[in-house]
Amino acid sequence: MSKLSSRRRALTGVALCLVVLLGAPFVGDTVRPEAAEFVLWELRVPRVMVGALVGGILGIVGAAFQTIFNNPLATPSTVGTVAGATLGALMALVLPVPAVLAGLPVVTVAAFAGAVGTSLVVGAVASRGQTRVEDILLVGIALTLGASAISTGLQYTADMLALFSAAQWSLGHLAQLGYDGVWVLGPVAVLCAAVLLSQVRGLEALVAGDELAESRGVHVRQLRAAVVIVGALGVAVCVAWCGPIAFVGLIVPHIVRRVFGSAQRVLLPGSLVTGAAFLVFCDALARVVASGRELPVGVVTAALGAPALVVLIRRR
Amino acid sequence: MSLLDLRDVGVRRGGRELLSGVSLEVNPGDLLAILGPNGVGKSTLLRLMAGLVPPSAGHVRLGTEPTGALSPRERAARVAWLPQERSSDSAQTVEEFVATARFRFGESTSVAIEHCARAFGQADVTGLRARRCGTLSGGERQRVAVAALLAQETDLLLLDEPANHLDPSYQRTIYELIAKLWRAGHGVVCVTHDVNLLAHLGDADRLRVIGLGAGGVRFQTTFSDESLPEKLSALFDTRIIALRDGRARYLVPAIGESAPREPS
Repeated sequence: MSKLSSRRRALTGVALCLVVLLGAPFVGDTVRPEAAEFVLWELRVPRVMVGALVGGILGIVGAAFQTIFNNPLATPSTVGTVAGATLGALMALVLPVPAVLAGLPVVTVAAFAGAVGTSLVVGAVASRGQTRVEDILLVGIALTLGASAISTGLQYTADMLALFSAAQWSLGHLAQLGYDGVWVLGPVAVLCAAVLLSQVRGLEALVAGDELAESRGVHVRQLRAAVVIVGALGVAVCVAWCGPIAFVGLIVPHIVRRVFGSAQRVLLPGSLVTGAAFLVFCDALARVVASGRELPVGVVTAALGAPALVVLIRRR
Repeated sequence: MSLLDLRDVGVRRGGRELLSGVSLEVNPGDLLAILGPNGVGKSTLLRLMAGLVPPSAGHVRLGTEPTGALSPRERAARVAWLPQERSSDSAQTVEEFVATARFRFGESTSVAIEHCARAFGQADVTGLRARRCGTLSGGERQRVAVAALLAQETDLLLLDEPANHLDPSYQRTIYELIAKLWRAGHGVVCVTHDVNLLAHLGDADRLRVIGLGAGGVRFQTTFSDESLPEKLSALFDTRIIALRDGRARYLVPAIGESAPREPS
């Protein structure tokens, strides 16, 4: 791939993302003209903004996790972060706890506690001397299975109303968050992007292995801890507000590697932008694919992401 | 001030003592060749010098500070390490990979790549810059690893089998490069199995040879030591003889009973 063509591909990719982000508010059922302005500015625009923020966070965190765990299948979903956040959020939704405690939304706090809890377990395993990356993934799978079992148990014992809201939430959705969602997710997205982008040089060195990176001046343990904590925070907030949205963190970095290139300084910002556009695109699709009713966006990301991943793996 | 100072250093691995009582000093302009059988801890000794493995006894100082008291970035400013395993199987391009060796300078990747131009030239990899690391041959990887080592711009260089996978022509190139760095005042510590390549380096009196056996240092001498073949024979438990071609001396393992005796 020549330099010129790779630059042209990157520019085309960014332009495509912008078209998706700017065009998405206009996608959906036509409404009565007098309500059109309200629907656009009060429903669709904040929904697209929330989608862009969540997709951006999931994309860039997925890319950073793949690098620090040196495995293209390591994402917040596969190392247990999403499962921990989901378990925490489900507990807050199903158990009889107040919605707001000390001014903080309990679902978000519980999701964050769950995400950090699983990350601490994975972190403890990872920091034990000569742990292989495969071990971390296996611990992630064990945590995910354990958290899922507890989540299922919780739902089994819940009353019908709580069960319905939990089931709806657990499919992943972007609707009805409005500008409140933007105000919460915006700062988290900025924090995630700022911290992860500031670590690009360290992540580039880490590609060649822990010891070589350390010998070149990278504080590998600090770098891993920073990425895991910031990633857990970002994922927890996304899960608490929108439910577990699958495949974005896994699939987006793979698309970016093919379109933009695999260097970390391209991969991370590329995954931020592409993740935003990918989730907004999936959400627009969710609005139009079944006429008269909306699908949860998590269903669309999974339906697009799973086969795309299989194709990508076969092409490798 | 010495670049590196090891005093009574010991390393434990899996409950057993791998190395003990190792004392070595490396000053600017020193070249140390570390020889020894497989598995005696040569690579571990280099990791210890690089601060990647902590000593279980004694101390390792880079300059005046113990390695444990320095941050990774501070250590990277003092010592560069060429590992035996070339792990660059990634989709990174050669110039991106070499640029990561300049992490300690805190430059952007593009500036780091510009500053690597000299290292690319010295290791003869300028033509490989845009190639992906995963597509390189063993010899090309080796030269790229050497380029990264030079790009780090340190006074002390630790080399683990630097001529591995190289054909004779590039072996010569790499050893001549090492000799040049040595003459320019760098401190160089080189783990190798092929003692003859050291002969390319010239000035045999100043080339220090460290024999590492099970548990620690068996001998320290110079390459010009006439009894080096006997010392190496004892170290490797196989007869090593010296053959001469003009002024050059080549040490080779004697195979079979018909092996020639060293001419006196």
